[in-house]
Amino acid sequence: MEELDLPQMQREVESLKLQLQTNREKSSVTVADLVKWIEEGVANDPFLNADLLRTNPWVEGGKCVLL
Amino acid sequence: MGELDVLKKEAETLKTQIETARKAVNDTTMEAASSGVAPAPRIQPKARRTLKGHTAKIYALYWALDNKLMVSGSQDGKLLVWDTHAGILANCVPLKSAWVMTVSFSPSAGLVASGGLDNMCTIVNISGEKPKTMRELDGHDGYVACSRFLSETSILTASGDQTCGLWDLETGKQKQSFLNHVGDCMCVALAEDQNTFISGACDSQAKLWDIRDGQCKQSFIGHTGDINAISYMPNGQAFITGSDDCTLRMFDMRADQEVMCYQNAQPTAGVTSLSLSLSGRLLFAGYDDFNCNIWDSLKGEKIGVLSGHDNRVSCTGIPSDGMCVSTGSWDSFLKIWN
Repeated sequence: MEELDLPQMQREVESLKLQLQTNREKSSVTVADLVKWIEEGVANDPFLNADLLRTNPWVEGGKCVLL
Repeated sequence: MGELDVLKKEAETLKTQIETARKAVNDTTMEAASSGVAPAPRIQPKARRTLKGHTAKIYALYWALDNKLMVSGSQDGKLLVWDTHAGILANCVPLKSAWVMTVSFSPSAGLVASGGLDNMCTIVNISGEKPKTMRELDGHDGYVACSRFLSETSILTASGDQTCGLWDLETGKQKQSFLNHVGDCMCVALAEDQNTFISGACDSQAKLWDIRDGQCKQSFIGHTGDINAISYMPNGQAFITGSDDCTLRMFDMRADQEVMCYQNAQPTAGVTSLSLSLSGRLLFAGYDDFNCNIWDSLKGEKIGVLSGHDNRVSCTGIPSDGMCVSTGSWDSFLKIWN
């Protein structure tokens, strides 16, 4: 990775100042929210709820095929 | 000290301040937060389809929103559009340049985009009798590693020239340029509201961008190698990245930091691609060692493997209804699993 030149370095510093301003929330809140969201979605996830794969588009169910 | 040295010092100070701010909000771990969650069951998806048609390494694939059509790109110089339900070819788009690295559908699936070592993103209309090249987006100074449509008239690109670009397909011109990475940009993912997007690059960083003003809002560090793949978690507040450093990582955007790392006991193969199941609980990751590992995203444990390819798994994809996972490989085949 090449060294940044002066204008690039100026932009980098401006960008870092902006990034520093980000509002950061406590991970005890954000990670808990994420875990909750995922858990609530599991029932609708075809990989984790076998009922949803009963009609599986990639498994032949003995249907007739149009020739 | 010269002006450059002053700025370098200022940059280092700012980075330290950012790390301090991150530590200040880091009051839990994913392990603690998911301690009450039962581990995901071990799963063994079966290969339901093997799609044969390409004659060289497959580099990219993309599902249409109808959850049936899928497009793949190979260095045999073709994009193949598959009706995955019937297991047959629906369309074939010959490319001017065989060195393809990325493919995607527009929301209607009437357009396909491809990009690669020709430094261009080519848009082809496939809704008519014959595929017709609509636009050649020319402006990057490096390869186009990833392209994602925002709409039928707007597309985002990630390039080896270290920038991402937003393009207007009506004029063929770049509307916005995203400069901040100091390594080749390898992958992007769009937020659902399309106001922001995330990118991964060879500088080992992932970044969050404002699409309208072009500014980098947040930079995520942790990886120690090129980031090849990136995907939002379904709540849009976190994302997962896959890297040449053999790990996947989860980054929490609200806490502005890494919260989880997924690594094999003997990490020897880089991650080439990743896809998340509908709930985000399962993480499908393609590796250089020909396998695709399935991870429990909350517990950080491997719960399954998709084996069947005879070469590197270069791309994976899950359709919007989450009903299967597809893999594409350097062995020239695509497989559909569930």
